[in-house]
Amino acid sequence: MPAILTVDPRSGVPIYLQIVEQVKRSVALGVLEPGEQLPTVKQLSADLTINPNTVARAYRELERDGIIDTSPGRGSFVAGNGSMSAARKNLADVAAAALHEAVREAKSMGLDRVAIDKIFSSVLDRWYGDGGPASRRSS
Amino acid sequence: MNESRGAAIAVRDLSKRYGSTLAVSDLSFDIPKGSIFGLLGTNGAGKTTTFKCMLGLARPNAGSVAFDGIPLRPQTFEELSYVPERSALYGWMTGKQHLEHARRSFRRFDAARANELASLFAFDLNKKASKLSKGQQSALALVLAFSTRPALLVLDEPSAGLDPLHQRHVLDLMIDAAAGGATVLFSSHQIGQVERAADRVSILHQGKAVMSGEVDQLKASEKIVEATFEAGAPALNGIDADPNVRRVMRNGRLLRAYVRGDCDAVVRRITQAAPSSIRVIDQNLEDIFVAAVGASASLRGERE
Repeated sequence: MPAILTVDPRSGVPIYLQIVEQVKRSVALGVLEPGEQLPTVKQLSADLTINPNTVARAYRELERDGIIDTSPGRGSFVAGNGSMSAARKNLADVAAAALHEAVREAKSMGLDRVAIDKIFSSVLDRWYGDGGPASRRSS
Repeated sequence: MNESRGAAIAVRDLSKRYGSTLAVSDLSFDIPKGSIFGLLGTNGAGKTTTFKCMLGLARPNAGSVAFDGIPLRPQTFEELSYVPERSALYGWMTGKQHLEHARRSFRRFDAARANELASLFAFDLNKKASKLSKGQQSALALVLAFSTRPALLVLDEPSAGLDPLHQRHVLDLMIDAAAGGATVLFSSHQIGQVERAADRVSILHQGKAVMSGEVDQLKASEKIVEATFEAGAPALNGIDADPNVRRVMRNGRLLRAYVRGDCDAVVRRITQAAPSSIRVIDQNLEDIFVAAVGASASLRGERE
């Protein structure tokens, strides 16, 4: 588990959010499976050399979002029902926000809709392959 | 590990004057049990004076300090370890003799832990303290402090003089202590250490707390909205009056608004002035520190 989590304390992104995002990503991708145990707060704070309350806060957030279950005395586990779809939904939101930012940035640089659409198609082709009829039409 | 367990240390309106110099001015903070609190500031900001006033080593001109709701009393020190900036060791005593002295003085002294920590910091326990390097002396003082397993740790620049590996050990020890329920107060001028280990921070400048709060909260709420304009940056009348805007910096075609809290209104306001670009920038603790203390702060490049 520690191997798949890293934090950058110097980032402007709060450390607890970095943990939340990474755990969600791991659950969405199936790297962490339902029922799998997470390290204890004490263990993870020691592994990452970060404040234990910060880890506890990340775990509370993950529990609230239905990604993990914590039972006193037993520890924290990846939630069984729907944790993967909850994590995927969340990642889709994160991706949408990033795309939103990118498009806003492109617009502020003075690119028009057609130009952005063209860039978008080529990026989609690059990552998803030149497969769909839509991408063939636009290229 | 949350606030409902109450403040382990509460400092209220603390002021200390040396002659005409106000070393600490109206300082207040609460340290919840089980948390790590970082006092961050340049040299001379008032960190050491604050500790001295808290622990009865200097008489404050005003203000109060409570430990678990009770003013300082002899019993406070049964549960508290203080490591001053200059280590208070006996030069003629060896490391071993210091450990033995601590074992007899502190009920909760853990000898096995002390030996374990001494080997972690890799110094010779048979050497007299006066023969140890400065860094090793600091390490010995820390070994003594952590081996008594105190409920409260007050550490003044705990990693001064230590190499990066041993500095990391100090952070690990503080984190381990807090995970075990202890409360840690430490001062540092190394932003990286505070950013990593502390859950709360107070930024001291010229004796005043210029900013305080949870580190993650500060990072989440302090943003810069940066916009560039074709011609010069417009005046944007009234933007300074927005309660969320700390200050606005204009430099030719560039405009930067330092915003606390929700910055949507500021982004909308600036967007109306048709900038050629606009973006919201996250701030790390160093950015927040420099903005709070003023761009003249001499700490740049002194990170871990």
